[in-house]
Amino acid sequence: MMGTLTDSELVGCALAGSDAAFSRLVERHQRAVRGFLKRILGGGWAEADDVAQETFLTAWGSLRSLKEHTGVRAWLCGIAWRKAQDRIRATRRGAVRDSFWLESLERPVGVAPEDRMSVTAAMADLPPDVRACVALCLADGWSHSEASIALSLPLGTVKSHVGRGRARLLKALGGPDDA
Amino acid sequence: MTPEQKLSALFAADTPPARDYVFQARVAQAIALRRAWMTVVALVPWLVAGTVLLWALIPVVGPMAHSLGGALQPAAAILAGAAVTAGCALWLARRFNGGLQGG
Repeated sequence: MMGTLTDSELVGCALAGSDAAFSRLVERHQRAVRGFLKRILGGGWAEADDVAQETFLTAWGSLRSLKEHTGVRAWLCGIAWRKAQDRIRATRRGAVRDSFWLESLERPVGVAPEDRMSVTAAMADLPPDVRACVALCLADGWSHSEASIALSLPLGTVKSHVGRGRARLLKALGGPDDA
Repeated sequence: MTPEQKLSALFAADTPPARDYVFQARVAQAIALRRAWMTVVALVPWLVAGTVLLWALIPVVGPMAHSLGGALQPAAAILAGAAVTAGCALWLARRFNGGLQGG
């Protein structure tokens, strides 16, 4: 039954005290939240999953603050973004983090190891807010306006961040400088 | 592969599975733990109020207990304990069942 409910109906059930409804929301949105956190934190899955768990726990405790127009996915990623910013500020370890990131990444077929290293190094060099825009819009295919809501950034800033981030990553892969 | 395709492939490789029951179970466990703590915290004022009430009733109940004799004291204690346990169990069951029925 839960599978057929919309996000806002599930939120209503969760607000009424249904843990099953909240679990369904977790099931539905864990992929977006964890993928986003993995890309912006640059650590392994363990770190991303820890922050994702904190994100869902915070969301459970503050479901009443969810506004109808925001959308659950954008709201969850907004919470994840704030938690990730705290984590980045608290545990930034530069080269150690980056090397761990390189080791932890899966390498897809057809992509050379040096390409993977170039992209991850370029991603690590991006400022956190640019990385967040890239993670949402380029990696997950979010619209600029949805990313703008989730990250609480102006729409124009998101567009310029995505453009700049994309150019830097493509350049790392041998693309043109002005890509 | 073009740089664009390579970038897409790298991003796709970094995507978690659509369903991850281990992660969902971890979140559910964390929520259950938090709910349990919230329940304990919510019960503290009632515990304090009950203690104060019993303390206030000692001058009334104490002489009555003495007059009824020592034989009734164990039975009264067992009944009181059972009533408190049943009350707590009912309250908790209603709270959790209410949550499940809500979904």
